[in-house]
Amino acid sequence: MKLGYQLAIAGVGVAALATLPSWGSAVLVQFGTSALILAVLAQSWNIIGGYTGYSSFGNSVFYGLGGYGVAIGMVQYQWPFAAGLALGIFLALAFAFLIGLPVLRLRGHYFAIATLGLAVVMTAIVSNLEIAGRNIGLIMPLVKGDTWFYEGSLALLAVTTLAVAWISRSRFGFGLIAIRENEGAASVMGVNTTLYKVLAFALCSVFTAIAGGIHAYWITFLDPESAFDIGLNVKMIIMAVFGGPGTVFGPILGAFVLSAISEVLASKLTSLASIFFGVVIVVAVIFMPRGFADLVRRFHQSGWRYFQENIRAHSV
Amino acid sequence: MTILEAQKVTKRYQGLLAINDVSFSLERGEILGLIGPNGAGKTTLINLVSGTQPPTAGTIVFEGAPINGVPAYRRSHLGIGRTFQIMRPFPGLTVLDNVAVGALFGTAGGARNLAEAEEQAHRWLAFVGLDKRERQRADALGGPDRKRLELAKALALRPKLLLLDEVMAGLNHVEIEEVIAIIKKVRAEGISILVIEHVMKAIQSLSDRLIVLHHGEKLAEGKTEEVLTDTRVIEAYLGRRRS
Repeated sequence: MKLGYQLAIAGVGVAALATLPSWGSAVLVQFGTSALILAVLAQSWNIIGGYTGYSSFGNSVFYGLGGYGVAIGMVQYQWPFAAGLALGIFLALAFAFLIGLPVLRLRGHYFAIATLGLAVVMTAIVSNLEIAGRNIGLIMPLVKGDTWFYEGSLALLAVTTLAVAWISRSRFGFGLIAIRENEGAASVMGVNTTLYKVLAFALCSVFTAIAGGIHAYWITFLDPESAFDIGLNVKMIIMAVFGGPGTVFGPILGAFVLSAISEVLASKLTSLASIFFGVVIVVAVIFMPRGFADLVRRFHQSGWRYFQENIRAHSV
Repeated sequence: MTILEAQKVTKRYQGLLAINDVSFSLERGEILGLIGPNGAGKTTLINLVSGTQPPTAGTIVFEGAPINGVPAYRRSHLGIGRTFQIMRPFPGLTVLDNVAVGALFGTAGGARNLAEAEEQAHRWLAFVGLDKRERQRADALGGPDRKRLELAKALALRPKLLLLDEVMAGLNHVEIEEVIAIIKKVRAEGISILVIEHVMKAIQSLSDRLIVLHHGEKLAEGKTEEVLTDTRVIEAYLGRRRS
């Protein structure tokens, strides 16, 4: 199916989702907001992890910086939300450029480990900053209106997805994909690999920071542990990979499906929920290692053999 | 007119002297053959020209300007294209998209948009005889077709100078003839070519001149027939004749 049709269908989906606060319960709107924010995170990770092939564990740093921009702006300087968000985006962008240049020289596991370290370092730094409320955290003014956060997250997801759709069909995106497929070959084919990697990292930092800012304002409380949570970074990777990394709609699908599963499990089973959630992920990785998007694309060709083929591919 | 010139180029890896004080030049429109036993430094020399590795000493001059400090991606913008002996396709992309990358990022920006790049890519695939398989993934291709893909990818950059690193290794006689014909067509487009090859038939029918590398040093240089009958070259390849 052509991307244009897919985007048109997605547009109808966005319009339908936008009506949710007018008929859904408060609990449903809350669930929706957090699922949308997770979808934004998975979709942003998709830019650097899915398209460029660099598995970043540092995205939670962007998320945290976005949150702290809002928190510091609103609490310490009494700025409006938008100004705090601008500060958060600026911090995340600066971090992406400064850290991206040295760290994006590393490949594979080394890149993953180096970015993993960043989140730990940021937790330690922010815990000692007076302006960020040290390890006690910052409490923002309470706002009424879950609807606003829901619609804002939905709009952000739409914009992020449009950016990814553009990437998938643009010269810039082809450069990123070439880097993912073979970085050495990409450079002799004329791709400025360093520039493209840093730009991808920066683009992903912007969307992730906005999501962090919205989330912080919504929860009205931010401390270093929750702002730079590595668990959240793992979650966005699992969602993107579950849905299909390097595809336009896969990460959204992954975020929605896994959010729903974990919500249902949590309400039915409480303490056992995380075990079952783990089982779901293991089964998914075994039977559809290239994600949900690949399953949808190929199932009508191969039928049930699709799963057999995947299991066989693992054993090679 | 000279398009490429290497002036006293040396490449040292810790203790190993891979290229030792090698100078040569390549005229516009010429096919220069680069031969030598395994480990002679042929691929290293191509790496130095394409910018994948920096030289330890010496200067590489392209179209009259030294390019030592120019990174690999900008050399391809200047008009230097190469293939890899160990082929490096973009495995998850279709054959067409593999070549489209070259069209998008080649000389002076290349194609303006994706549709234009794919159209150019299609033409280059037809040029090397691979257009029938352009919708397949690159990792589904067999060896000979991967060689053609390497060639099409490099050509899509619209290079002025093409560096070919053993594009005929592993091909059968029929396929070799086909690739020789393709390379002659490339030259007819006005592209200068530096070709590393072990297949003697190809070297003989393609090269205007030859240089021979042995243990990283230039052993001989000259007209193809003369070099191939040079006793020092025969010794380097076959060993000294017992008398």
